[in-house]
Amino acid sequence: MKAKVFILLLISSLISFLNASAEEKTISGDVTVTGQHLNINGEKAKFNEYRDIRDGFTGDAEFQYEKDKYYIDLKGTDVGRKTQNYELSGGKWGSFKYDFSYDQLPHNFTYGAKTFYTGVGGANLTYPTHPPSTDISTWNTFDYSLERRNYTGGFKFDLLKPFYFDVSISKETKKGIYPIGTAGTSPGGIAIELPAPIDFVTDNIKIGAGYVKNPLSLSLSYSYSKFESDNGNLNFRNPATTDTAATTDTFVLPKDNSYYQLDFKGALKLPLNSKFNVDLASSRAKADAHLFDSYVAAVTAGTSNIGTQGRTGITLSDNVFNGKVDTQSYNFVLTSNPFYFLDGKAFYKDYKKDNKSDKITTTDTTALPATFANDLFGYQKEKYGVGLGFRLPASVYLSGGYTHGKIKRDREDIPKNDDDIINIDLRWSGLDFMVAKVGYERLQRKAEFEEPTVTSASDSANIERFIRRFDVAARDQDKYKASIDFFPIENLTFSLGYRHKNTDYKDTILGLHKAKSDEFNIDADYLIGKRVRLFGYFDYEYAKLDQFQRQLPSPTTLYDPASPPTPTAFNWTVTETDKNYAYGVGTDIYILPNKFTLKLQYSYWKSDGSADYTYLLGSNPLPSGRTQDNIDISTLDNYKTTYYLAKVIYNVTNYLSLAAGYAYEKYVFDDAQYNGYNYVPTSSTGSTLGYLTGAYSNPSYRANVVFFSAAYKF
Amino acid sequence: MKKFIIVLSIFPIFLFLWGGLRPKEVGGSDGTVGVEVCKGCHEDRYNTYAISTHSKKGIPNSPANKDGCETCHGPGAAHVEKSGERGVGIFIFGKKIADAKSKSAKCLSCHGETKDLSFWDMSKHKVSDVSCDNCHTVHSGTRKNLKATQPDLCNICHRSIRAQQNKTSHHPIREGKLKCTACHDHHGGFGPKMIKANSTNDLCYQCHAEKRGPYMWEHPAVEENCLNCHTAHGSNHAKLLISRMPQVCRNCHDVSRHPSTIYTRFETFQGSSPSNRMFGRSCMNCHSNIHGSNGPSLRGKTLVR
Repeated sequence: MKAKVFILLLISSLISFLNASAEEKTISGDVTVTGQHLNINGEKAKFNEYRDIRDGFTGDAEFQYEKDKYYIDLKGTDVGRKTQNYELSGGKWGSFKYDFSYDQLPHNFTYGAKTFYTGVGGANLTYPTHPPSTDISTWNTFDYSLERRNYTGGFKFDLLKPFYFDVSISKETKKGIYPIGTAGTSPGGIAIELPAPIDFVTDNIKIGAGYVKNPLSLSLSYSYSKFESDNGNLNFRNPATTDTAATTDTFVLPKDNSYYQLDFKGALKLPLNSKFNVDLASSRAKADAHLFDSYVAAVTAGTSNIGTQGRTGITLSDNVFNGKVDTQSYNFVLTSNPFYFLDGKAFYKDYKKDNKSDKITTTDTTALPATFANDLFGYQKEKYGVGLGFRLPASVYLSGGYTHGKIKRDREDIPKNDDDIINIDLRWSGLDFMVAKVGYERLQRKAEFEEPTVTSASDSANIERFIRRFDVAARDQDKYKASIDFFPIENLTFSLGYRHKNTDYKDTILGLHKAKSDEFNIDADYLIGKRVRLFGYFDYEYAKLDQFQRQLPSPTTLYDPASPPTPTAFNWTVTETDKNYAYGVGTDIYILPNKFTLKLQYSYWKSDGSADYTYLLGSNPLPSGRTQDNIDISTLDNYKTTYYLAKVIYNVTNYLSLAAGYAYEKYVFDDAQYNGYNYVPTSSTGSTLGYLTGAYSNPSYRANVVFFSAAYKF
Repeated sequence: MKKFIIVLSIFPIFLFLWGGLRPKEVGGSDGTVGVEVCKGCHEDRYNTYAISTHSKKGIPNSPANKDGCETCHGPGAAHVEKSGERGVGIFIFGKKIADAKSKSAKCLSCHGETKDLSFWDMSKHKVSDVSCDNCHTVHSGTRKNLKATQPDLCNICHRSIRAQQNKTSHHPIREGKLKCTACHDHHGGFGPKMIKANSTNDLCYQCHAEKRGPYMWEHPAVEENCLNCHTAHGSNHAKLLISRMPQVCRNCHDVSRHPSTIYTRFETFQGSSPSNRMFGRSCMNCHSNIHGSNGPSLRGKTLVR
């Protein structure tokens, strides 16, 4: 239906295009036809993760028409492919503008996934006999892939300047199959990978009006968004149970939700070359969920059959959850440039999320404790600060600032943070051929930790005394950056950049202790005599995370990491390291300037990850067969991408251009957590650990693409 | 909401008090020579101007309806009198000649009164001496007069972001299906990192509306900031995660039983003690509803349903 509306709009635009008088009009545009041949070995889904390169023809086209103050622009790219995009825009300069667009975007994950379930793509997955077959050659094959389609339309009216009025609408659909994982029984139990049906629709509308004329700018906008999912639940037969029903369990998928925002923005020019800016916004997100529309509905409340049928009887204080979260945001910013040599900024920001959702009390006799309720999470972030910049002699620009942030949150462990951030930057542009910059930023975060309430020495809440969750934990963080841009001669640029970040979670006992990263970037671009362009880049990144953890049996009283280690209660550490480097070189050779060009390009991207584990067992032995060295992982998300491109472009005339080329891309993935992938893995004692489908299991590929294109301009 | 209405009511009063304090504007077109005189010596530059938006007569207030070349470059009479001596009596948009502030001021004299540039003064770009002509060219027929397409244009300066875009897990930026300006307000705004929203989550939910909730069982770290677990531009780890599972989850979770257990090479598919907490997608093998769940019972609470 939407596509038809879009086509009608295109046709009506073309009719007006054809009816235009021959006088005073300008018609221009271009049409490109491209043919591609693809040869690929390996995972096509990863190769075409966000693309649609395949055998056949595609094309791009653009038509522009102008007459007096009126104009129309119609553009299409990747015609006929899953990445196709069409845009129609037009209007009358100084009066109004309109635009419509249609865009497709695939997101491919894994092709040829396998499952014993039937009904893939729907909301009911089942299998005929229990237990399911473990012979994967008998399983059904399907693709994990999503496709977004986005339809937009907009109208901007500015005839009554300085007043304006805008409205835009959009509809986005997202369809496909996505991998989810769930536990067969809980706690513990097998892992079951399920193909979840995705059928989402999101409708958005935004209406805004405003006034812009010096010294004042004002705007008020209202936006509304509605999200709908065709499948609220995914029902599946749980292979961890012996229940003979076709579907015995339910995985809860995202429910419908809605959101609106009212936003006022304003800016007023003040004396001393200053400006006061303000943004006030209020929004509300809502989602209602019928909690008993899932598997638990069929089970008598209070009946305990978890572990045998994979479901449990529970009672709820309310069978419907009404979710409602209100957000209010206030921003006030004063900028000032009273003298040429001085820039100033002062700001205050307040962002508050107030969770007004239902608190539902659950009674589950199989749980411990048997009665529990959802926590309503909300928070408030307040931030204020100043920044100053000085233009000093010798082309030096020195700037610095201070920001204080306060965060209050409805959370039991760390309900409050105080952040102090200082930054200082120096820029020197004293030479015509060089700009150098250095910068430093320090964050000091204080965290107000609240001791948990514990009922006994064996209460598992005891561990909370030692955990500092990294997102809210106290920290000292230092960031350094430096860069130099050279342009010593015409047509040569050379840049160097370096960044360092070091975070010390100083109060953390269990959790993330330290995070560190270093980045280098080098870029060069040189045009030699207007005949040859050379360019290249090199990027290097090193990142390291240090965690300190504690393994515990259940039940236990040995929560304190300072306790002497035992074979089952001990501390351990892991250091995760990522080394990432990428480089590329290329050349554009203008064999016949403006006529015949040869392009060559080579890129190589590589990542090496590792995890270094250490058991802190003291005099206790490591588990059988293990040493401190043979437990480490040396291939953690390792990959290499190699890319070559050779392309020739021949401009036959000013209007006709031909191109042909060859591209090669190779991607090799090597990861200890996926190597030796098994669809039905078993434990060391032979028990089934899960039923997997192959999602993301082997994304490596090698692809060759030959292409040619003809482009005609008019 | 009440606080919001009070503040909204106070602002017009503030505006009223400051009304009329409009800064003095500069301008004038005395000493102009006309486009044809400029073209006489600078035909190549004129030809690129002629195909640009600036040359369109249909656009009210365009240079074509003012003083042509001299609208931006200033009156040319003195320049002509000096036989076209470089830089004499004329404004040139060269990086070695005029400073960023002066160049942007030229553009803002016409474009300043537009909603897109209302908050330019707050922009990090302005403070960093990025001028309009760093990204736009006055003479061209490209869309929005941009010097290059995104992300290449932005990556010229944001090289560390370019490095992230090349990583295996990324948004479709390098594929050309997501522009930098889809998320960032390059001309200045109120959001952190110049994003087009007041918080990171508000921005992410614009495309990932299914994660918006509100959910009965929430994951506080998720609700507060998507960037606690994800990175926006690219990662070596699936789903744009900041580190690999299970480590990323263990930055916060260490309780008895499996969240506290050390999982090593021995717990992978090829190890002697495979564990479904380690191999493949690790924690996500079971806890898929990591962004929130409406599943009743303890299973909803633990985000496995």
